[in-house]
Amino acid sequence: MSGLDAARVETAVSLSFHILFAVFGVGMPWFLLYTEGRWLKTRDRHWYALTRKWARVTAVLFAIGAVSGTVLSFEFGLLWPTFMSTYGGAIGLLFTLEAFAFFTEAIFMGMYLYGWNRLSAKAHWLTLWPIAISGTLSTLFIVMANGWMNEPVGIATVDGKIVADPWAVFTSSSAWSEATHMFVAALMCTGGMIAAVYAWGMLRRGRRDRYHRLGLKVGFIGVLAMIPIQMFLGDWSARVVGATQPVKLAAMEAHYTTSSHVPLTIGGFYNAQTHQIVAGIPIPDGLSLLMGFNANTVIPGLQTAPANEQPPVATVHLAFDSMVGCGTLIFLIALLAAWTWWRRRQQQLLPRIPETRFWLWSAIVTGPASIIALLGGWEVTEGGRQPWIVYGHMLVATAATKSGGIGWSVFATILVYLGLATALILILRKLATGQPPELACSDALDDLVVELESLK
Amino acid sequence: MTAVNAMLVIIVLSLLAYALLAGADFGGGGWDLLAGLGRDRKTAEDQRSLISASLGPVWEANHVWLIFVIVCVFAGFPAAFGDIAVSLELPLAFALLGIVLRGAAYVYRAYGQGAALPDRWWSRIFACASVLTPFMLGVSGAALATGRLGPRAGSAATSSVVSTPLTPFETPFALLAGLLAVVVTAFLAAVYLCFDAAQSPASAHMVEVFRRKAIGAAVASGVVALAMLPFFYRDAPVVAARFTDRSIPFAAVSALCGFGSLYVLWTKRYVLARATAAVAVAGVLIGWAVAQYPDLMTGVHTAQQAAAAPSSMDAMLVAMCCGMAVVLPSFFLLLRMFAKPVVEEHAAMH
Repeated sequence: MSGLDAARVETAVSLSFHILFAVFGVGMPWFLLYTEGRWLKTRDRHWYALTRKWARVTAVLFAIGAVSGTVLSFEFGLLWPTFMSTYGGAIGLLFTLEAFAFFTEAIFMGMYLYGWNRLSAKAHWLTLWPIAISGTLSTLFIVMANGWMNEPVGIATVDGKIVADPWAVFTSSSAWSEATHMFVAALMCTGGMIAAVYAWGMLRRGRRDRYHRLGLKVGFIGVLAMIPIQMFLGDWSARVVGATQPVKLAAMEAHYTTSSHVPLTIGGFYNAQTHQIVAGIPIPDGLSLLMGFNANTVIPGLQTAPANEQPPVATVHLAFDSMVGCGTLIFLIALLAAWTWWRRRQQQLLPRIPETRFWLWSAIVTGPASIIALLGGWEVTEGGRQPWIVYGHMLVATAATKSGGIGWSVFATILVYLGLATALILILRKLATGQPPELACSDALDDLVVELESLK
Repeated sequence: MTAVNAMLVIIVLSLLAYALLAGADFGGGGWDLLAGLGRDRKTAEDQRSLISASLGPVWEANHVWLIFVIVCVFAGFPAAFGDIAVSLELPLAFALLGIVLRGAAYVYRAYGQGAALPDRWWSRIFACASVLTPFMLGVSGAALATGRLGPRAGSAATSSVVSTPLTPFETPFALLAGLLAVVVTAFLAAVYLCFDAAQSPASAHMVEVFRRKAIGAAVASGVVALAMLPFFYRDAPVVAARFTDRSIPFAAVSALCGFGSLYVLWTKRYVLARATAAVAVAGVLIGWAVAQYPDLMTGVHTAQQAAAAPSSMDAMLVAMCCGMAVVLPSFFLLLRMFAKPVVEEHAAMH
């Protein structure tokens, strides 16, 4: 394996592992803010039980996110030394800010996870705010650094040295569209997976109690409420990509020849020889209409870049369609849910969303669908920029380490991460088995208290 | 002071915070490994619970100091970062392995309820990784001083030295520095744990255990440091010469506080022992940093030559002032809140 391939594979593995688990570290605090807030307000033990359970899950996932993030920060130097030595100064500010955000998150996470007996209930809830805000900020800063790689703003060469305006990235629309899209994706993955776990418990294990119902409701509403916002942000991202990285947009739609009346192609496989898409479903004029609101809009094709500067179209198109497909599926579920809710409200039926097999399965689907969309989206961003590491400025091949000996570290990384991921999933499965001890003994009593209060 | 020097000071202070805080967490892992051996094995499980309780709320925040150091080096000195990382790829890869396994094993043991592996196995992984990481970081720091590391082909920096992945391990000085890092972290951990154990009647019987361990580790640190000296002058002549010129006062303070730690441990004053232990470690670290100046990678990169453009450097310093204004008070609050770990309370969190 060449140094370049090894560096690519190792980065891909480390990034996927990190993203897959770190998103919950970003999303969970916002959900905890809600559940623990509800507990403070209602003193309903079910909210408390949900909070305690989710806090345990967050503790494990946050730790895994923290250590796998450390691996990434070292890997920038270990695997991409030329990129760092040339452009380290340009993205350095973002990473410095990220380090502070992460610092704040880790500090308050310690207080939150271990402060149940040392803080008042209100103060304990308040520690979630810095966690949620700094977790969000660290997502924004890190993804903005990626946005900078897609649209490198604020750099100039003076006397052969690269000088950068590190604040320029905050004015780049690539950075903002990408970062907000990713943050909402993190919320959706969290909500979707929560919904999936509780729906699974109700459907397959027959745990149809208040604890599961509340968990399902919070996660399901979370993911469904986010999808319209996410589609709007995704649309914005696509427009920014069209304006700043036309070749990436062309790769997303496997569009080779610059023309007007460009269709939007759903599915299909790209044939690199003929530059045609095979077995896709074209929507006539779709892409032209979406990008310019006019079928005559000219969309630059892949041919605008020399052959050796074209991204791997087949993968990028597939990844883009999986993302959009999963997003659309969740959107349809959201539409149907909104309609069902409204109709049953008219008929004064409870619960507003019935707990039928159909709806539980719909909830289960939103979890994996969000995750597939997330990973697909990252493949579009990263794969679509190839062969560049800094779009238009530095090739991935130039940036990679020339050290020949990193082949072994790739296998070690894959092995260690596979082992850790397996263990993590086993542990999460164990954590997901039913109500936590906080609820078990006082169940009946609490139901009575809640009922009494609702009578008042 | 120039922006470059200000950045260096921030890096060294952050490294010091990492050594004093996270170092003790790693040292605790080391004691977890040794808990079942020797005369104290009867209390092994109690020791492990206390170590675990002392780590719980703080280890992640302590760990961020390292991320912070890495980010400062690559943002502030991008030209050197790539060469440093590549020439130290082997020890850094092992340090990373240790960091990942230590963190994962700790939470898996705490929250896993044996779902993936028995707690005992995670305990071993946690402990071994806790020893591996400081060793590899010690080797890395010392290797930077030797002047034997060179950039690989393709780097912009020019140097007559060409190094292989094994070069960092080839001097006795670097290996001894790794060992020193292990015993010093064990020393810090044992001193901190003496105080922790004294906080509750339930754990008071371990005070004596950790006091013995602290004294043993203090003596071991002194012996390793002395053994290192001749190799230091042989294997890292440039830095060693500057050490003689500049760092003798730091070394003297360190030695004084080392002996002072022995004395206050003997007289059972555990709060004071924390201070003397910390100053002893700070003396060594700052002494090395002062002797290393102005080189980042001896013979290849100086701080001035590897620094980022002034506009980037200024932006980062502004960001750091604002950031520290938020982080430092929060950090003190965290340390104060959990100054007294309680084992039973810790167990109930999981």
